[in-house]
Amino acid sequence: MIRPLAGMARIGLRFQLAYRSDVIMSVLALVAQVFLLRMVWTSLYGGQGQTRGLSLEALLAYLSLANLQAFATSPIIPRITHFRIRTGTVFFDLSRPTGYLPQMAAFQAGHTAGGLLMLAPAVPVVLLVGTITPTAHPVGYAATLALGYVISLMMSLLICVIGFWTLETGAISLLYRLVSHFFAGTMVPLSFFPGALGVLADALPFKYMGYVPAAVYVGHISGGEIGRAVAVEVAWIAALAVLLWAVWRRAHRRVVIQGG
Amino acid sequence: MAEVLRTLRLYGRLQRAAARGALQYRLNLLIGVVTGVVYQGSGFAFVWVVMHTFPSMGGWSLREVAFLYGLRLTAHALYVLPFSSLIGLEWLVREGELDRVLLRPLNPLVQIMAKRLGVGQVGDLLAGVVLLVIAVPPLNPGMILFCLAAVVGGALVEAAVSLALASLSLRALNTLALRAFADDLFSKFGSYPMGVFGGAARWALTFVLPVAFVAYVPASVLLDRTGELIVPAPVACGSPLLGVALFALAYRVWRRQLRHYQSTGS
Amino acid sequence: MIRVESLTKVFRRPRAFSGPLGPLRTLVTRRYDERTAVDGVSFEIPEGEIVGYLGPNGAGKSTTVKMLTGILTPTDGLIEVGGRVPWRDREANARAVGVVFGQRSQLWWDLPLIDSLRLVGDLYDVPAARFTGSLRRMCDLLGLDDFLHTPVRQLSLGQRMRGDLAAAMLYDPPILYLDEPTVGLDVMAKQAVREFIAETNRIGRTTVVLTTHDLADVEALCRRIILIDKGRVLFDGGIDDLVTAYAPPRRLVVELADDETRAFEIAAGSSIPELIARVSAEHTIRDLSIHEPDLESVIKRIYAESER
Repeated sequence: MIRPLAGMARIGLRFQLAYRSDVIMSVLALVAQVFLLRMVWTSLYGGQGQTRGLSLEALLAYLSLANLQAFATSPIIPRITHFRIRTGTVFFDLSRPTGYLPQMAAFQAGHTAGGLLMLAPAVPVVLLVGTITPTAHPVGYAATLALGYVISLMMSLLICVIGFWTLETGAISLLYRLVSHFFAGTMVPLSFFPGALGVLADALPFKYMGYVPAAVYVGHISGGEIGRAVAVEVAWIAALAVLLWAVWRRAHRRVVIQGG
Repeated sequence: MAEVLRTLRLYGRLQRAAARGALQYRLNLLIGVVTGVVYQGSGFAFVWVVMHTFPSMGGWSLREVAFLYGLRLTAHALYVLPFSSLIGLEWLVREGELDRVLLRPLNPLVQIMAKRLGVGQVGDLLAGVVLLVIAVPPLNPGMILFCLAAVVGGALVEAAVSLALASLSLRALNTLALRAFADDLFSKFGSYPMGVFGGAARWALTFVLPVAFVAYVPASVLLDRTGELIVPAPVACGSPLLGVALFALAYRVWRRQLRHYQSTGS
Repeated sequence: MIRVESLTKVFRRPRAFSGPLGPLRTLVTRRYDERTAVDGVSFEIPEGEIVGYLGPNGAGKSTTVKMLTGILTPTDGLIEVGGRVPWRDREANARAVGVVFGQRSQLWWDLPLIDSLRLVGDLYDVPAARFTGSLRRMCDLLGLDDFLHTPVRQLSLGQRMRGDLAAAMLYDPPILYLDEPTVGLDVMAKQAVREFIAETNRIGRTTVVLTTHDLADVEALCRRIILIDKGRVLFDGGIDDLVTAYAPPRRLVVELADDETRAFEIAAGSSIPELIARVSAEHTIRDLSIHEPDLESVIKRIYAESER
């Protein structure tokens, strides 16, 4: 059970490293993004002290972190599934003794590890541009981030499974990426979202992939709120697991019966 | 003149054929358009959200930033619509499609442009035009003409950079990631008043990669803000011409590199 | 019609660097890797001839054809096609040549075949009246009527190849380049393609340059072949001359009473009856046959010699 999954993770890692010239460019794009956000926000604050409970320094650190996180954990498996469904090679994956979803999860984990490796040289630059200082809540940060990653992984798997119906996940996964990035708060912390948009962003699970861990890091979320966030994350994971299991059963039956 | 008309006529026919092919995949097209609107919309949503809290960005109001944003998006869409197949130039080279292009008696760039109509990019155009129409300041007829010229000029600036970089791909280099990065810089930095950027960045975005000339400079002219520019006002008024000049230059580079085309080398 | 003199093509590629910043270094490097694909090739092809241009993979066949069509600019040497220099006068040259790549179609994948043919007619400025006549002739010669309105992606390989041949000859070019036109086709489709080429050459005096790995194409169509390997011409002349000059000796193959088979080389000028008599004096012959060398064994032998 473990060996094949480790193999899948290794492939995911190699996949990330194989496209390193593209990755270098996207790391540059990431640095540019952090730089842009820093410029824009500095100009917006214009010497004001705290706004919505965030000082400029805390905000800049937040933005840098949220973007690093989003970059390192960006989902690859919807694209892989899309490609394998279109070429029909998905049947090889389905015929393996290990389940399809664990295979994809392992692939994504390997890919993320590769992303972290690629990111390593950029981290000092981003930290410098984003002026990040050590956090007061290392445990809370690690816990919310790890659980947030699991939520992100399960959402990606859900997109993969939807691909078995639509046979086309290219556009859906792009839409998903845009929506999730926006509601994860990679450009604006959720506390700035006005009115109904704020309520919506708060209710959706995307915030655990960006906003919540980064806000814990800079101390915007602290004390008992951290514990509450962890509890809600665990609840989301349980709910998503049930949903994923139900949807997968139907998808699998559909593929087996139709034979593509 | 007859040659130009012939080229235009053939461009139209090839483009129509490409569109008819693409129309067989209607659902993909629809999703492409929706994705375009959402993509550009989420970019502007950032501006809208933050300006809810902060009424001014580099001294510009939400409406002014929206106009700038719309101007850049429309110019960008006007570049992507006809040039979308240039993005896949490496693929065209690898699959030998460029060989076929060179075997036909019609300008190779025109043939490449006619390979595909960026119907998926209609979403960008929609988002851009909507923003422009909502946020446009009162303009006299002369300014309306300048606005149209600015959109075309901005599209040509982006097209010029993309074409010049793509030309290198004719010499067995892969510039896809580099072009994506340049495109990314245009989209990221082109839609904000340059006043928010520090001196060095602002200088680089004006004179190294001419991002400022796509929309910021002409928008400043239309919003009567030429005072804050780092180029003299007469230069700002002539900014649409810069697009024409840069594109002419890029086309020369393209022609030169085409001579050195190496095919797939098999 | 076609004149080529000491034609040379050297490919220069920016050196590919490895390592994390490799791609960036490749982009700005001034160091190049060089490879000579065509090395001083000369030949002349008169109007109306069908020439087989043969060589193993990577010999420089495609590179030569790409220079003849003006896709590639030669590094050195001289090319003239119908009095024009292809790379300098690419568009005018394009109007005078038809090109078929067996591996890649020039037809519009999602559109019916007829639409592709119309577009080709537009691209080459074929007047409407001439187009109708040309299309009729192509339909008759290639039997296109059955699938003229079918989208190209639904055509079989053989049908698609017939469509490609029609597209290449619609504007009556005096020269036709064919790059492996029968690859992957079944016996009937191959036959149809060969008949079309022979017919086009007979009626229109079209000059044909054919590169192929299928020697049956060559035997059916060409009287002359040019053999190249490693960018150089190994042989240029008639097929008959090639066989007499390079053919390995004929062989007498005998089957003996004890089910053993043996082969004896027949030396040039020697008498076959004498050889048979000598063999039958020592063995009991049950059956015998004389093996003529075929084109394939001849060509194999030439490549083997050039390897040395």
